[in-house]
Amino acid sequence: MNCDLCKSEMYAWRYDNDVASFQPLFDHLDQCPECARLFGELTASDGRVETTFQSFPESPFLENRIIAGLAHQRAQAAAHRSARKWWVLLPVLACLLIVLFLAVEPWWQQERLNQQVAILLRTPPALQIVATDRRELLNWSASFVAGASTLPPELDRVQFRGAARLRFADHPAVFLKMKNEGRASLVVVDTPLTKDKGFHKIEENSGSASLWSDGKRSYLLLFNGNAQEMRAYMQKMGISA
Amino acid sequence: MQISDQTFDEWVRQYHRLLFGIAYWWTGSRADAEELTQEAFYQAYRSRSSLRDVATAKSWLVGILRNCYGQMNRKGHVRAEVPLDELTVEYEGPDPLAADILALHCALGRLDERHRLPLVLFYFQDLSYREISLALDLPLGTVMSRLSRAKCLLHDSLKLPDRAISTAKVEGK
Repeated sequence: MNCDLCKSEMYAWRYDNDVASFQPLFDHLDQCPECARLFGELTASDGRVETTFQSFPESPFLENRIIAGLAHQRAQAAAHRSARKWWVLLPVLACLLIVLFLAVEPWWQQERLNQQVAILLRTPPALQIVATDRRELLNWSASFVAGASTLPPELDRVQFRGAARLRFADHPAVFLKMKNEGRASLVVVDTPLTKDKGFHKIEENSGSASLWSDGKRSYLLLFNGNAQEMRAYMQKMGISA
Repeated sequence: MQISDQTFDEWVRQYHRLLFGIAYWWTGSRADAEELTQEAFYQAYRSRSSLRDVATAKSWLVGILRNCYGQMNRKGHVRAEVPLDELTVEYEGPDPLAADILALHCALGRLDERHRLPLVLFYFQDLSYREISLALDLPLGTVMSRLSRAKCLLHDSLKLPDRAISTAKVEGK
């Protein structure tokens, strides 16, 4: 090992290094007094530098400042987590509301329908046209209720004596008073109010009703009597599905 | 890895002085060192899940301190001049030590960062080459060669006439 290489090894040497790997350095130091002197100076200087490095100003409040800053960060994170939790709950609440609406909506519609049926049974509208000609009455009705001026076959035997225009369940409708049965009347509504074509019975204190639909219109038979009497009337007039 | 707040607070108590000291010798300013140390702990807290082994917490924290120091430099921060007032106020020991401190400040100021950073870790905290390599995210061989070069530059620098001037300044206070 020459002196230049020795010098570079001196700077690389550290007391906790593997001594065996630096053996060539120590061999050279044994033989070269100049390098040995330099190494001595370097070692002494190293010790002094280490001591100097340990002398630095104190910062007495630093620890508390860091801990306080961390506490602030944690409080902020907790607040964000809490806010996020509510945002996550929002879609759940929205779903619950939709489910609730879907469950309640048919019941609510039915209640509304029943209420309007009860009103019509108690206080039927005044007739706006009085006529016994079925075709004339149906033509008059057609100007208010869309579709052909005919009735479905199950109502072929029914005769009328007058009609009135009204709105039923927020839809245009025509009220037709039966000719041969004073207790009975028919409401033709310009929308299907039932999903299937079957008869839906409605019973109220002031009478009974039967609702059915042909897919385009709804027909509501109002009867100021109990369900049995209404059924007997319907059988007599051939009103059945 | 899940690190509890309690564990992290314990690290603050255990390592804040170490990080502050390193930052002090890196920046040459107490105010900058305090700012860096705080920022390093805040960043470490936010990214504590990235620590793989608690046994390397010290190197990990020093590594984050190094990153914060890099960010500070990228923002245009310049290494502070040797704070003579701070020296005369803070160090009440014998004058030779104050002179050494001033000389060391001057010598570190002359070194570039790639030599100054490992050098401070080497002398100040007596970190092993491996720990320095981990903290600075450098290969072990690079750390060894840089340290060898840095030590050579430091010792040469400490022999410069500046030291005599600095010593004279401190002694004449």
